[in-house]
Amino acid sequence: MACTTPNGAPSSKEKKYDRQLRLWGANGQNKLEAAHIALFGASATGCEILKNLVLPSVGKFTIIDDKIVTEADLGTNFFLDEESVGKSRAERTAALLEELNPDVKGAFMNDSLSNLLSSKPELFKPSTSPFTHIIVVSPFSTPDILQLSPEIPTFLVHSLGWSIVLRIMAPTRCIVETHPDSLADLRLFNPWEELTALAVEKTKGLDKRASEGGMDNYEHGHVPYVLLLLKYLDDWKAEHNGQYPSNYKEKNEFKAMLLDKMRTDVPGGSEENYEEAAAAIMKNLKQADISSDAKEVLEDPRCINPTADLENFWIITNAVRQFRDSPAQGAGLLPLSGGFPDMKAESKSYVELQNMYRTRAQRDAALVLENAQATLSKLGRDPESITLEEVSLFTKHSNFIRRINYRPLTCEYSLPCDDHHRRTVIDALNNWDTEESLIHDYIAIRAFQEYYSTIGRFPGAEDKGLKKDQEMLEAFAGDYLKTLDYIGGLADRTKNLVQEVVRAGGSELHVIASFAGGMVAQEIVKVITQQYIPVNNTVIFDGIQSKTAVFEF
Amino acid sequence: MTFAEEAKWADLNRILSRSGPFTDPDGTYEMAKEMILNSCKILLYTVQTKLTIHPRGAGGLGCEILKNLALSGFTDIHVIDMDTIDVSNLNRQFLFRQADVGKPKAEVAARFVMNRVKGCKITPYYGAIQDKDNDYYMQFKIVICGLDSVEARRWINSTLCKMVDANIENSFVPLIDGGTEGFKGQSRIILPTVSSCYECSLDMLTPPTKVPMCTLASIPRQPAHCIEWASILEWPRVFKDKKLDNDDPEHIQWLYEQALARAAEYNITGVTYSMTQGVVKNIIPAIASTNAIIAASCCNEALKILTLSNPPMSNYMMYTGDVGVYTHTFEHERKVDCPVCGNPATDLEIDPEWTLQDFIDHLAAKPDLQIKKPNLKRNHAQLYEHDNAAEYSTGLDKKMREMVAEGEELEVRSELPFVSKFSLVFKK
Ligand SMILES: [Zn+2]
Repeated sequence: MACTTPNGAPSSKEKKYDRQLRLWGANGQNKLEAAHIALFGASATGCEILKNLVLPSVGKFTIIDDKIVTEADLGTNFFLDEESVGKSRAERTAALLEELNPDVKGAFMNDSLSNLLSSKPELFKPSTSPFTHIIVVSPFSTPDILQLSPEIPTFLVHSLGWSIVLRIMAPTRCIVETHPDSLADLRLFNPWEELTALAVEKTKGLDKRASEGGMDNYEHGHVPYVLLLLKYLDDWKAEHNGQYPSNYKEKNEFKAMLLDKMRTDVPGGSEENYEEAAAAIMKNLKQADISSDAKEVLEDPRCINPTADLENFWIITNAVRQFRDSPAQGAGLLPLSGGFPDMKAESKSYVELQNMYRTRAQRDAALVLENAQATLSKLGRDPESITLEEVSLFTKHSNFIRRINYRPLTCEYSLPCDDHHRRTVIDALNNWDTEESLIHDYIAIRAFQEYYSTIGRFPGAEDKGLKKDQEMLEAFAGDYLKTLDYIGGLADRTKNLVQEVVRAGGSELHVIASFAGGMVAQEIVKVITQQYIPVNNTVIFDGIQSKTAVFEF
Repeated sequence: MTFAEEAKWADLNRILSRSGPFTDPDGTYEMAKEMILNSCKILLYTVQTKLTIHPRGAGGLGCEILKNLALSGFTDIHVIDMDTIDVSNLNRQFLFRQADVGKPKAEVAARFVMNRVKGCKITPYYGAIQDKDNDYYMQFKIVICGLDSVEARRWINSTLCKMVDANIENSFVPLIDGGTEGFKGQSRIILPTVSSCYECSLDMLTPPTKVPMCTLASIPRQPAHCIEWASILEWPRVFKDKKLDNDDPEHIQWLYEQALARAAEYNITGVTYSMTQGVVKNIIPAIASTNAIIAASCCNEALKILTLSNPPMSNYMMYTGDVGVYTHTFEHERKVDCPVCGNPATDLEIDPEWTLQDFIDHLAAKPDLQIKKPNLKRNHAQLYEHDNAAEYSTGLDKKMREMVAEGEELEVRSELPFVSKFSLVFKK
């Protein structure tokens, strides 16, 4: 990523990627440019996925495909032209995709997944693979995909007729920049000493008129609402045995008490800062808490007892855990984010209050850094290998961090059936919304997968034999449900979706391939940049209803 | 060679020639072929105007939609776009290359797709849409919009809604609309006067938060306040009548420097060049993948509607991709009092002793109506047609009370681009 020019104006690269840098920043862009994507299967779907990764500038891609371009390819795949017919599909699609963006390097191999798994196993071992991410597009056989390493993020994609199924398999994802709507954490029930002192100082004379030595209307209308809330919470506690307003009723009483103190003999008849305070009550009047997502990370064994070989993420979570547990540091709370919303106030008093939060956040980050460096020393690693910058980014987001453990593919396909998988499918079949559930799409595609793996061709490819293929697919679907000990038999909706699979006969619709291209590329971008939250672990799109559903299989 | 014989369309042909379990029984393969072959004109409306006041959504769906339509077998596509290619389009608008920067989008895109997908005819129109009349729109089977502005969407929506006339063939043209913002987007189907229209859902847009002028002028707190101060207050103060050009890097540079200085004065941190550009141009983040999702959804619905190969979705889909994947697909309800498609009947007082001619004169003379040369319809029967005046001449002397009942609804059409509905009230 080129740096900004000295006068602050963007470089040519920043100009070109401006609209995406606003989403994932230079951090995310650098990760994207370091990625090398392997695409197995240069179908329309495969190429549409790759297109949406080449445009934002992944580093490299390699297309692996052993087909020769046919006329039929031209009707679905935009990255083939008339000249391509009769030539290598891997070579032609790689050329036409590479042409989209001079910043990206493309390569190809005239080969197949099946063949390479045995002839070049080093391509699939995490320690020797040149690929950082792998996309496999249907058709593929079950035994082949079960050989793929769960240590390399892998995206398995079916796009058939109007159905799309994406399965993600990856090592644990640790995400710091989840991009929540707001990072603000006001700590109204947990103010620290300096904040309390500031609130007392800045609200002196709040309830007195200027004529009685109190605030004039201008001052009164510009006290930031956070200070108003802190002040009136103190008043409330004095009248309620030191207790904060905790339930809905008390919060409403508190609101009434606050609005009662608003001056109404001012232009407009009300004060904006008091109205902002009233509006903030329901959401912000609470004990500072730790989100269930953050708790999950803090209870991970890698966080509790990090080892030297782990990523910095786990060393820092451990340091945050120490911070939380230390009475002298967090005393049960997470580091402060430092996020602070805009509010009606004078510039000077706003900045002063904002700095109160920022300074506290910096203090917390510094403590976490100390903890982390002590841990690094203990583990025999360079204490400087974690920087304040890295820790600050983390502590800013500590209540929003996420860990996703991906279940291995072997669980989804194991016999006897994995219990979690069985429960997921049966719960969906028994759920109240089973009539519309996309679980039926899954079962139909699953039957397709079994059919293809067993018979080696597409059901419904020929106009004759449609009925027989329908019966065979229904039998595969029924067998699959039997492995789950499901006794309900095939639902009508499942049969209908099986019929759609037969109808497609292995054909891709370009519009659905294109939808898959967008949906899968979004997930890959999230996995590569380690920002936002990718699906765990399967997302299905039904193009007839235009609905999606996520399942953890 | 026919569609079915073309080896290129083997996949599409296989699916369309077979009926599915959800397929409309009225849909036939012959019809689907007819649609996809020459008879089906589609209009793609992606104009981006620099005069846009409230950009919504990032625009730039055009490339994706063109590609999708061409590879769905449609051969007669018209595209309207009055924008030229900017370097910041290249991260997602894949029909454009560095060397195309500055050229008209519609023309470059049309040429590229026609070159790649042989047999597809794309007619680009680089210019203002407002010159086009109803006849122009009536030639299309469907209109697809991938616009970046609220105003342009409202304009095409009301044009298509008001064009509907049960007596005019081809006056009913469905509109499919898509928009994106970052990892999110939405697509929707508007069946003019049948299902909810763009205007019906106008209240779903949250109005942009306006920072009060006094904050900008005297008590800035955020970097954005300093930037807005520079562009709204400081620029006109310093440069008087010289217009600020958001696309001129020198102008942005000046604003950035002013904002930076003001921020320093108030101890505010965080003003950057990129933020300055974002605030001043109201930039909405946009990526290739989200554009692909929404454009594909629009074209999938168009394909289903035109070929009857599967039923369309409920009329509205919202796609959210920043936290996992979540879609909400639902039936957006029509607003009864929608000013575009709702058109509720208003009370109109008449004297029951008037003749039909008196009534027609009244419509023309009444200052808040001024409807001349009307066509009048009650229930489903015509009461009077100006265009066929001779046929109705004998009825002109009939008393109103003999022809209509009190409280009855009367539909009035004229040369005006909308239909008025009146609930008749008799003068006592
Ligand atoms: Zn409407």
